Amino acid sequence: MLLAAPRFALPETVAEAVAALAERPGAVLVAGGTEVLPDLLWRRRSAAGFVSLRRIPGLRTVVPGLTLGSGVTAARLQRPDVAAAAPALARSAASLGTPQVRAEATLGGNVVSALPYRNLLPVLLALDATLVLASAAGEREVPFDGFVLAPGQAALRPGEVLTAVRVPVRTGFQDYVKVGRRNAQYVATVSAAVVVDTAERRVRFGFGNAAATPLRLDEADRAATAAVDWSTGAVTLDGAEAVAELVRRGVDPPEDDAATAAYRRHALGVLARRLLLRAGGADDR
Amino acid sequence: MTDDEWVSYELTVDGKPHQVTARWDESLLTVLRERLGVRGPKLGCAHGRCGACTVTLALDGESALTCSCLLPAAAAAGADVSTVASLAAGDGALSDVQDAFLEAGAVQCGYCTAGMVQSATGLLERNPDPTRDDVVAALYGNLCRCTGYGRIVEAVLATAARRRNR
Repeated sequence: MLLAAPRFALPETVAEAVAALAERPGAVLVAGGTEVLPDLLWRRRSAAGFVSLRRIPGLRTVVPGLTLGSGVTAARLQRPDVAAAAPALARSAASLGTPQVRAEATLGGNVVSALPYRNLLPVLLALDATLVLASAAGEREVPFDGFVLAPGQAALRPGEVLTAVRVPVRTGFQDYVKVGRRNAQYVATVSAAVVVDTAERRVRFGFGNAAATPLRLDEADRAATAAVDWSTGAVTLDGAEAVAELVRRGVDPPEDDAATAAYRRHALGVLARRLLLRAGGADDR
Repeated sequence: MTDDEWVSYELTVDGKPHQVTARWDESLLTVLRERLGVRGPKLGCAHGRCGACTVTLALDGESALTCSCLLPAAAAAGADVSTVASLAAGDGALSDVQDAFLEAGAVQCGYCTAGMVQSATGLLERNPDPTRDDVVAALYGNLCRCTGYGRIVEAVLATAARRRNR
């Protein structure tokens, strides 16, 4: 432990973090701090103390294959090794916040914040990622699909710490796109990720702000998989439009100050069609 | 305020070691400005958009430009923090980036300048020969409400050109 005070702990191992959290009722786990500090300032959250994950070296490692520590930063996700193994993850990390924010914002924080518009979440869905969770009771591994229960609410048990995200390495096209209200520093009004698995001949999408939680659509994935000519990799415009229609029908997007539900529904169809046509090697549009 | 609110730790700021005693939830920016009197980093948006609070944080063998308003200061215990004050020479002479900002008229109200100069300095260390797009990308996290971006970008490009011809 680098620092231990009644309301603050700076552990160096996950076990120390779990113990420090148990000893400090009402304390909040803080990774990069890029969400927690503004939340406290604008009184969207309260805390009786901090247990910081910032100085646990074991959470900041990248293991080829691909296991990403929960403390891996967005800036780290942009680096070539991650970009080669999980291109869509690197793309989504590159449009998260600003360079200064990406230096501190973590993969784990993005996941545990559990908001449907967070950049990395549609990608983790499309990649079929799993999460490693540690507590005093031991370790468990769960699919990311289903981990977000409601906006801001993750299926973490009391006292549990997200330690790693396992991302299967797929061969095939991947991409991430998002639409915002302006061209710089924007939060996703809607977003979408696509992962093509040429080994299993399967296409899988993930959508952001398409429902109360990050969303996957089995029907759209099946149609997209069928729309690919697996001998050439090509996708027809009609096939992509059929997928877009399934996406428009399948989503249940929120309505707020940024956009209407109708706009989001339309835009999600456009993003799905665009991603699938890109996957098929078509000119960008 | 009860006794259990406090945390004590060391921070080195612009080369000078400090023993800090602060509340557990204070940001690095608050500690720098309110506890240590280091006034280069500014409070702007307080949520990671404007970059007025940008500092260079060297911690556990890694170094990066970061928003000091977003980091709990105690999490950076033992860190080496550099602000705009570390860029000038000890005798008060400005750095070449700072000189270029003045020459180009890249300073209007000045609120964003400390952050801008640090992001620009960091870019030129990583990439001595940046394109205009590289400069714009490096300054993406620094907002200027006077919209002096044209002259700011010119100042960074001018510094790079001058260093190449040196």
